[in-house]
Parts: sequence; structure tokens; C-alpha cells
Amino acid sequence: MSKLGRKTLSILGRLLSSKGSALALIFLVGITLAAIFADFLPLNPVGQKLANALKGPSATNWFGTDELGRDILSRVIFGARTSLITAGGAVAIAALVGVPIGLVAGFFGGWRDAALMRFVDVLLALPAILFAMAMIAVLGRSQAAALIAVGLTGIPSFARITRAQVLTLRKRDFVTAVEAFGGTATYNMFRTILPNSWSPIFVQVVVLCSVAILLEAALSFLGVGVPPPTPSWGEMLRTGKSYLHEAPYYAVLPGIVLTLTILSFDVLGRALSGLLEGRRDPVIAPKVEEVTT
Amino acid sequence: MIGFVLRRLLQLLPVLLLASTAIWAMIYAVPGGPIGAIAGDNASPEQIAAATAQFGLDRPVLVQYADWLWNAIRGDFGMSIRGRAPVLQLIGERLPATLQLAVAATIVSLLIGIPVAIASALHPGSWLDRILSGWSAMALGVPTFWLGILLILVFAVELRWLPSASAYVPIWVDPIGAIRNLALPALTLGIYVSGILARFLRASLVSELRADYVRTARSKGLPERQIVGVHILRNALLPFITIVGLMMANFIGGAVVTEAVFTYPGIGRLLIQAISTRDYPLIQGCIVVILVLYIAINMAVDVLYAYIDPRIEYR
Repeated sequence: MSKLGRKTLSILGRLLSSKGSALALIFLVGITLAAIFADFLPLNPVGQKLANALKGPSATNWFGTDELGRDILSRVIFGARTSLITAGGAVAIAALVGVPIGLVAGFFGGWRDAALMRFVDVLLALPAILFAMAMIAVLGRSQAAALIAVGLTGIPSFARITRAQVLTLRKRDFVTAVEAFGGTATYNMFRTILPNSWSPIFVQVVVLCSVAILLEAALSFLGVGVPPPTPSWGEMLRTGKSYLHEAPYYAVLPGIVLTLTILSFDVLGRALSGLLEGRRDPVIAPKVEEVTT
Repeated sequence: MIGFVLRRLLQLLPVLLLASTAIWAMIYAVPGGPIGAIAGDNASPEQIAAATAQFGLDRPVLVQYADWLWNAIRGDFGMSIRGRAPVLQLIGERLPATLQLAVAATIVSLLIGIPVAIASALHPGSWLDRILSGWSAMALGVPTFWLGILLILVFAVELRWLPSASAYVPIWVDPIGAIRNLALPALTLGIYVSGILARFLRASLVSELRADYVRTARSKGLPERQIVGVHILRNALLPFITIVGLMMANFIGGAVVTEAVFTYPGIGRLLIQAISTRDYPLIQGCIVVILVLYIAINMAVDVLYAYIDPRIEYR
């Protein structure tokens, strides 16, 4: 077995040995599998039966039915697909743009550093939700727009974390050695420094997944996220809120799944940060940065 | 002191300028963006040309930008396309509601956050500490809009104690009515932020508890209550002020979601309406005003901090 494989297995084992992170991991794997194989499950997120509208949880509809008589559990599971794809895509955009920014800014310093980090500061000048809303106002409402908008708000945290990592590695002997042997800056950044920076970046990916899911759900709740009829958790809470008297379960049950997903990513991010970087209370750092800057 | 404030102001200008330029460019970069909204989707080419000329959108981009910036500096963001009223007037009508909610939410978060932090810092590692840390994690992880829905369900739908939709009642006009309307949205925001506050205050309390002056105070035989209440809290609260200020700044712009849950008539809901009706002047106005307030509060916090903590020099 490769070295990487063994390391992954050992980290997985240690995650599973703690009760909290084991539960979080199992929940996330479960919901991801359900989202992937939703088409093969006996679910029907679009079948309308008006006579069956707003019926409470029952043996046939575990989570009850919505205002059009559609099965809420089916919509929650298909909504998981929407959430995970949007959040995953957003985090990918944030990492693909943010990590190179951090690499270049930290490696070269000087005017490149100043210019790139000022650009990042502008992204941070507004609270994330407002920035995302403004982006959607420009792009028009679609799943792609939600994905891009959420992704852009994640760029600063990747840029900063990578930059900080580069600054600590920049003067280390193995980097200087590559330079002395005539390695180019690009080679040094991507083949020497980056492979030694995966831990904090990976932790950030997991932490940002919880932020992205929350942000996407908030956008959909406000009616500017993923447009209907695509099922999304935020949209379900938005509609469910209109039926609090007749059908309280409608807004409560999808909310539980959303909250558990966000909490699970958060718990996992903290656990990973503890294991990979030896920090005790890591998640607070990026979140504070979010509000302090 | 005045020099310090002025220098801080000067440092903030570039950020403000860059961000407002970005906001302007974002909206005007869209082909046909504002015109589509002004003339309507079924407009004929003549109507589009007329609207373009009327709003001066046929001028060179740089001229348009300079014009917009000059007007914005004077507080003129133009007329709302849908509301048929000056943008600044519409914002001015909503601002008091947002500020009142921000203050109420800050008070709630302090009332929850400070006791939680003190209780868990005094007994680190105990079951109480673990429960309270769990509380902080939950407070941060539960989406505010879902928490708001749960609170409405319990206090408005089931118990019928409080209204499910919150109106803006100025507190000096009708204090009881204002509190009834503010209770649920302020609780929603306050619970979320109390999680952040409790974590911070706990961390700084724990580090202060190890400080030398605490050992001195203990060896002098001071009662623990006095050590914590007078000496430690005073030092630990200093960095805390910064966080509270930042939270308040965040409430002003970031309460969009909570305002939507409780249909509270603040600036956040105005912005959502503006976005859904593609009212570009109103979108720009809202965002610039929120940005200015956000930066102004951050600056006020900096100044206040330097004023309270004598160790910081006005540099």
C-alpha cells in the first residue's frame, strides 16, 4: 500500500475512534450516498397529488407531504444533491482561485503580494451573504450563479491560509535548495511548497463546506438561490415557513437535516485540524477572520 | 487623538473607494443590465434608446462612473426605479429599524455570552464547561433562519405570546410594543452571536486566570469573587469590545436573513426587494450605505479600544 493510503487509513481510524467525529463522518457518508443514488431509491420528489397536500408524517410519507402533495423526505434527499453539488463546486472554485493567489502572494512578496491581498480585502469588505446576493443580482438567478457567488466568498480564506503557509515554508532549507539547483519559481511553488501545504488547505476545504452549505441554504431561503422546481433545503424552509400553523413538520424536519449536515462538517473540520495540524480550536480562526476583516 | 482618527479615516478611504467602484462596475458590466430593468423586458428598440438617453447610459463609461461617484459622495444615489423615490430617502426610512434591532441583538448576545463564558472558564474541563462549549457549537452551527422559524413556532404559533411577523416600533414611542416585536429577531441573532462571544471570552478569561497578577491577588487573600469580577473581567473584556463592535457592524449588513424570517422592515429586506425587482440604483445605494456603516463602526471600535486601553498609543 502507498504511503498516502496508509496515512489516510490511519487518520480515518483516529476520526472513527472519537464519538463526535465518527457520528459526523457516518452522517455525511450516509447523506452523500443517498444524494448520489437518489434515483435508485423509491423516492418521488416531483409527483404532485393535491388531495394529499400537507399531510403529516406517516408510514408512506415519513416526513409528511408539502403544499402540492409531494413527499418531503424525497425532496430532502434530492435537496441534499443540490446542496452538496453547489457547496462542493463553490469550495472547488474558492480553492482553485484562492490557493494560487496565496502561493504567488506569499512566494514573491512585494507588489504582487500587496496587489493580490488588496483584491482579497475587497472581497471581504462586505459580509459574505451580501456579496453573494450582489453577484446573483448581476448574474441572474440560477444554480450556476449560486455556485459562483458562494465560491467567490470563499476565496479569501484559501488565499490567506495558503499565503501564511508559504511564508513559514519560504525560507526553509529544502526550498532554498531547490532554488540553488536552479528550480524555477513555478516548480518551487507547485512541486515543493504546495505538497507540504496540503494539511491546512484540506482542513479549510472541510470547514468551508459547512459555510458553503449554510450560505447556499440562506440564499435559497431568501429566494435568490437555486431556482425551483429543483428541490433545495433553503427553498423548502422558505415555503414551509408559510405553513407553520397547518404543517409545522414541513419547516422543522428539513431544517434538522440541514443543521446536522452543517454541524457534521464543522465537527469533522475541527477533528481533522486537530489530527493534521495539532491545533485544538482551529475553526474559530477562519470564522473570526471572516468577521474581523 | 484627533490625528489618530483622521489617519484611520484616510486608511479606510481606498478600501471604500475600491469596493464602491467594484459595486458600480459589477452592475454596469452586465450587458443591458440596468436598461432591461428600467425599460421593461418587452421594450421596443426605440424605448430602450430613449431610456438609455434619459439615464445618461449612452455616455462614455468613465464619464458615467465619475458622475456616479461624485453624486454618491454627496449622498445622491439617484431615484429608485420601482419605488419612484430618492434611494437615500428609502434607505433612511429603514435605517432606524435596522439599528434598533442591532442594538437589541447585541444586548441579548451579551446577556447570554458573558455568563456562559465566565461559568465555563472558571471550571475548565468540567461537565459544565463541556455542556456550555456544546451550547456555543450549537449556537454557531444552527442556521439563523431555521432557529428563527423554531422560535416563531414555539412563541408565536403554539404559545401565542409574541407576534410571528415583527413590525418596527420605535422604543421611545411604545417600549412594550417595541420589545414584543424585537424579542424573537433579537433572540435569533443574539443566540448565534453569543456562541462566538462565549468562545472568545472564555479563551481570554482562561489565559488571564494564569496571569501573575491573579496569583498576587490570591496570595493577598482577595476573595475569588473580587479577583474574577474586578481584576480578571476588566482585562479580559478589553479584546472583547472589539469583537462586540464587529458583531454589531455585522448585524447591520448581515441581518438580511433574520429580517427576512420575521418580515422585519430593515435595510436588509429593502435590499432583497431591490434585488428581486432589479432596482439597480437601490441595490447600489443599499450596499454602499451598509459598507460605510460597517467601516464606520469598525473604526469607532478601534478608537474606543485605544481610548480604553492605555497601553495602546495613538499611532
